Parts: sequence; structure tokens; C-alpha cells
Amino acid sequence: MYFKYIFLFFVLLNLTSCSDKKEVAYNYDGTFNSEKGGTLIDAMSGEPSNLISMIAGDSASSAISGNIFNKLIKYDKNLELAPEIAEKWTISSDQKTITFYLKKNLKWSDGHDLTSEDVFFTWKLVTDDKTRTPYGSDYKLVDRAEVPDLHTFRVVYKKAYAPALDSWATLQILPKHILKDEDINRTFFSRKPVGSSYYKLAQWVNGEKLTLEASPSSVMGEPNISNLTSRFIPDTSSQFLELIADNIDLMNINPIQFARVIPSKPDLKNKLALYKELGNSYTYLGFNSKHLPFNDIKVRQAINYAIDKQEIIDGVLLGLGEPVASPYKPGTRWSNRTLHPYPYDKNQALKLLREAGFNDTNHDGILEKDGKPFTFEILTNQNKQREMTAVLIQRRLKDVGIDVKIRVIEWASFVNQFIKTGDFDAVILGWSLSLDPDQYNIWHSSQQKPGQFNFIGYNNKEVDQLLEEGRTELNPDKREKIYHAFSKILLRDSPVIYLYAGYGLTAMSKRIKGIESPTPPAGIAYNSYEWFIPSTVRRNEIAQ
Amino acid sequence: MKILTQNPLALSGFIIIVAVLFIAIFAPWLSPYDPNYIDIHSILLPPSVSHFMGTDGLGRDVFSRMLYGSRISLLVGIVAVGIATVIGTFLGAIAGFYRGYIDSIIMRFVDTMLSIPTFFLILAVIAFLTPSIWNIMIVIGLTSWMGVTRLVRAEFLSLRNREYILAAEAMGASDFRLISKHLLPNSLTPIIVTSVLGIASAVLTESGLSFLGLGVQAPQSSWGNILTDGKEYIQFAWWLSLFPGLAILITVLGYNLLGEGLRDLLDPKNKNQKK
Repeated sequence: MYFKYIFLFFVLLNLTSCSDKKEVAYNYDGTFNSEKGGTLIDAMSGEPSNLISMIAGDSASSAISGNIFNKLIKYDKNLELAPEIAEKWTISSDQKTITFYLKKNLKWSDGHDLTSEDVFFTWKLVTDDKTRTPYGSDYKLVDRAEVPDLHTFRVVYKKAYAPALDSWATLQILPKHILKDEDINRTFFSRKPVGSSYYKLAQWVNGEKLTLEASPSSVMGEPNISNLTSRFIPDTSSQFLELIADNIDLMNINPIQFARVIPSKPDLKNKLALYKELGNSYTYLGFNSKHLPFNDIKVRQAINYAIDKQEIIDGVLLGLGEPVASPYKPGTRWSNRTLHPYPYDKNQALKLLREAGFNDTNHDGILEKDGKPFTFEILTNQNKQREMTAVLIQRRLKDVGIDVKIRVIEWASFVNQFIKTGDFDAVILGWSLSLDPDQYNIWHSSQQKPGQFNFIGYNNKEVDQLLEEGRTELNPDKREKIYHAFSKILLRDSPVIYLYAGYGLTAMSKRIKGIESPTPPAGIAYNSYEWFIPSTVRRNEIAQ
Repeated sequence: MKILTQNPLALSGFIIIVAVLFIAIFAPWLSPYDPNYIDIHSILLPPSVSHFMGTDGLGRDVFSRMLYGSRISLLVGIVAVGIATVIGTFLGAIAGFYRGYIDSIIMRFVDTMLSIPTFFLILAVIAFLTPSIWNIMIVIGLTSWMGVTRLVRAEFLSLRNREYILAAEAMGASDFRLISKHLLPNSLTPIIVTSVLGIASAVLTESGLSFLGLGVQAPQSSWGNILTDGKEYIQFAWWLSLFPGLAILITVLGYNLLGEGLRDLLDPKNKNQKK
């Protein structure tokens, strides 16, 4: 606790000292040619636990290790699968065999050759029961893996499994020549990694920062920015102060900071560029289909009509979000462009509620059916945006005669007491999505046991069948049709009401150049190796 | 009233409390807007003529919400302390009157309760119950009676052997009559003083719970949850933190001043000094 204050004190000291000395007037505007060198400093809330991402499992670790290690294939800027260290891949006609052809002359940063033996070794590791990894299940579906030669890697599945390709776009390839005699769970390698990608580890000061430097033997070519430093700053308000003081170059910010704080201060506006991109998640109101009256599709549709989603986006996100009509990120191929969210239509809502048997018989402003008033409780966790969303929904539903109570619960008891037991009427929650369109776990009727993800109890035979087809079809065009049909049924059934997909908001120092605009679906960071810092606007880089 | 004017601190406390009571009672007439009226076109407006205390993240008028919030804060304070006083007086009276092993049992129970950090006990209990103002009042009441018990017991122990009590007992007065007619009226002063001071701490506890999201549930407002809303915007919308913070500060100060003042005034030992 004291440390935090001392830290804050120094931050404040820093702030004042900055204003004392003459502000260095950088000229960030104008055209710059890309050049190499410089240091980019960002802030991380958590410190990586381990730089072997299959063991670590936390986002800080994978953010760092993603700059050090390569994968076979990757998602390109449009979130389509593209080659990384595999120059191409083929799928057999029965859709059970995938063959990856590696690029030639790949090297680890210590000079050893990177071959398909390393890929095979990594697959062995991730499927080994002794390896403590939560990610093994996708790779265990591989019936057999082969290395026909040093540039070819082949996997054969027992049956066609479409998310398989996605799994090869997330597995970071590890060096066999270093790890073959190591215990992966407790090896020195987790803090002294040797990779093959743009950067290698230069320095790691516990509790303070981690620095990567460009790797000369990178198989991807040399990145423009020579050093990446991540400082560990747990508190986001302190991060923001550091950003204002120009001690870090970029961070994720919230809508208030994005729409109000930074634009209202000219000095911040001059040195910070703001970026928004759609994140991989959406927020929804989900009904417990096993509770009356939410088993009735008309009731769910009526509520969907009664909620004004644009109002929520404007009020809660200050306009920094988009309405969604399918459980896929808008702009990607899986999102069905022909679908539109239910418009706000109070009369349509009232009509549907009447059809479902609800009438205000005693004229108290609340609808009744069989003498019982229509009242239910919305649960959500302690998340300011979700709480405000709930209040807006409460108001709109009151307009059509539904009495809503709101209950905000701490996350652990929310999951254990309510979600796992199915003891709720409706919840406001969000789903983070993987890039693969398979959502079997969330919507398939078989996934309703306690602890599984279909806790809203959604049950539709047609959807079940589409989900089963979708995960065995490896042809992207055919898959697209399947998931578009699935989204259409889902929107009609309204087992959940999509509320919004919020933007990921980034503030970045204007000294960083080369950021692609408009932001591609993959987000601003996808081409970070092309970013550059012109030497005229670099910080004075004195060794710290 | 006359005694109040002799002590300016107690008087100022009294005035604050009366003012807050007035605001709480007449909130519907005083507030310019419906406290729950959402207007997303005027979110986070700074204080102005049309919104004395600005607007919050959903465009609701903070001034109106503050006025209605005073009701919650006062209600929680008074009801919770009422519960605590009733329980505390009852147990203290029994312990002080019967003494012996009954006293020991009750006082050990008091010691046990005092050894538990109250706020965390309340947090744990609220986590199991549905958060609502009624539950909060009851829980605060049930966890803050120990001070009253100790005071009442001490008072009873000292009064128990006075001649008039012994005389009444000798004339065959029942235990109930002894307690209610003779002991209790003579112990009223410390009870009143601790109750007034207790309201202050109950108001603070309620604000703390609401601040943590365990208090009054949306869309109702209390000073604590206006303050929580403000936390999000503190770099930008100072008015969301300043006004509820000030309101809590002033009210708690008011009860404390009044309580301290009453203690000085009603304490017979102080009477001579005053003159």
C-alpha cells in the first residue's frame, strides 16, 4: 500500500518537474519516412508469469511471448488464416488430414535451424499429460502427427474438426534442441526464452519492466522499432498519469477518457492519437429459458423490441460501440450482413406481450398473466457499464409494463451461486469470442450441465444440427453459409438480446507512426512490426 | 432547547440534523427533477443553473438524487440504531440487573461480537442476503448493539444497590417494575448519547456498503452509491464525488457534535463547571 503512495508521489513529482522545465516541443505532424530504431514503452497491468504461453495462460504472458515465438499459421488483417512459418497448407479431400509446408531456412535466434521436428516436438509437449496446460484438448484430437521431411508437418484427425486450423494459429512453436531434456513445467526457459520471431528478450526486471530487442535472425524480417519495453503498472489510473506525463507511449483507455478527458485538454490532444477498434466481445441480456415466461419466444422478442440499444450505446459507451445482430464480430466473414438488430418499437413489444397473454388487468401499470404480475430480476456482476445498462433496460421495460429488479453481485458468487445453479431469471454478461466461428459450447443443447456454457438453457434442434455441421466442415465458404443460417435462427429466437459490442480504445503517443488507418478488423496492433518512431521525435534514451 | 443554546457546538449539530431531516422529509417538493429520470442527451454536465450539482453518467440530476439519497441515509441511521438500542438496552439491563452467571454469559457474548471486525461481518452477511435497505438496516442494527449493552449494564450495576432501588425491592416490586420504572429512566442519558453517536456511524456504514455496491440497489440513490458512480469519473466530473462526500461529512459531523454536546450537557458532573 505504501509503495503505491510512494509511487504516486513520484509520478506527481514527475508531473510537476515536467512542467517546470521547458516543454520539449516535438513536432509530431508532417510526413515521416519509416526508419529503424527507437523504443516503444507500454504499460501492463500484470506481470507475465511465464513466457511459455501454453503453460502460462495469462494474457500478459501471451502478449509478450507472441513477439518472441512463431506459429504455423496466423490471422491476417482481415482475420483470415494466412501463412506464418508454414508457407502453405493443404487439406485432404476427406477433411481429416492437414499438411503444413514450412518455409525454408528458418532459424532460431540462437542460430539453430527451425524445422518440422520442432513443430512435432511442440505438439508432443502440448498433448503430453505431464505438461500442465489448459490448452491440450484441441491438439489431443489429432490421431497421429508425422514429419515426412524437415519442411513438412502432417496431422491426421480421427474425424473432421474445423476449429483445428484455428488451434494451429495459436500454438507457439518451441525449440526442440533446448527443451528436449527439460521439464517444461519448471524450466529456466520460461524466463530465458529463445524464439524465432521479431524480438528476443533483452532484460526482465521483476516487478518493474520487461524489455525486448529486435532479433537479427528473425524469420519474419526485422521490425522497425528496435526495443519494446513493457512496464508493470497494476493500477489503470496510474497508467493514465504515466501516459499524460509521456512516460509510456500507449495504453487502453475507457470511454470517458476517450470521449471527454483527452479531447477537453489541448496539451493531451496534441501529443496523443486516439484509436478505436471493435473488440472480440459483445454484451448481452440472456434469459433463463427454463424460467417462465422466458420459455415463450414472443416474450423474448417483445423484450428485444422494448429495449433501445442505441440509447445504451450512447449513454453507457458514449457512442463508442456498435449494435450487433449475430454472435460474431461485425465486419468478419462469419457475421451475417443481412441481419439487423431488432429496432426499438414499443408498440410491437406491447402487441407481442398481449399475444403471449399479458394484460394490465388491474391497471397498476404492470402487466399480468394468470393474475401474476410480470416482474423479474436482472443479475449482473460489479461492472459499471453493465450496471448502467441494467438501469436503462429497467426504465424501458417499465414503459411496456414489466417490473425489473436489478441485483449486482460480486463475480465469484455470481458464477457459483447463480450461473452454475441456473438460479436466475436474466443476466447481463458478455462473451469474448475466439476467432474461429465454432460456438458449440455456448449454444448446443448438450452443453447445459452445471459449469458448462449454455447456462441460459437454449435448446433448438435446428441450431444443434448446424453447430454440429459447422465444426466438421473445413471449407470456409461452406462454413460461412452454415454460421449465417445459425445466426439467423438465433436472432429470431432471441435467447439472448445482443446489447452492444464496445470498441477497444487506445491512446497512443503521436511519436509512433505507421499505424494503419482505417483500423482493419484485426485491430491496430496487427502491423506493429511496421510501426516506427522518427528519430526527431524520440525520447532522449538515456540508459536507466 | 435552552440547554442547547448554551453549547454552540451542540447547537450547530442540532441545526444540521434538523436541516437534513427537513430535506429528507420534503425531498419530493424540493427536488427539481425526478431523481431516476434518465436523459442520455445530458450526461455528465457540470453544475449549472438548471442542474445545481450537475448530472451523472446517465444524465440524472445529481441534486435531486442527493435529496432523495438523504432519506436513505437518515432512515438507515435511525432504524439501525433503533434496533441496536433495543437489543443493547434489553441485554444490558438483564446483565446489569441479575449479575452473576447471566451477566458473565451476556458479557462474554458481547466480547465475542466485539472481537469480530463489524464491517467485514456485515459484508459477509450481505453477500448471502439480497442487498436491500431493509436488510442493511437490520444487519447494521444486529451488529452494533454491543456498546449500548456495556453502557446500560454499567449504569445498572451502579444503580442496583442504591437505597431507593433496595427500598422498592423491599416493598415487593417485581423485577420488571424495578427495571422499567426505576432503573431504566435513570440510565436514559448514556443511552441517548450513544444512540445519537451511533446514528453517525450507521450513516457511514451504509455509505461504505453502498460504495462497495452492496447497499441500496439501482435505480434508488443513496449518498454512498452516488459517490461510487463518481469514482469512475473522478478525473473529469468532480461534482459526482464532491457533493455526496460533503453531504456524508456534514451529516456525520452533525450527529457527532450533537452527541458530544448532549453528553456534556446531560452529564451531571459537568453541570457545575458550566455555571
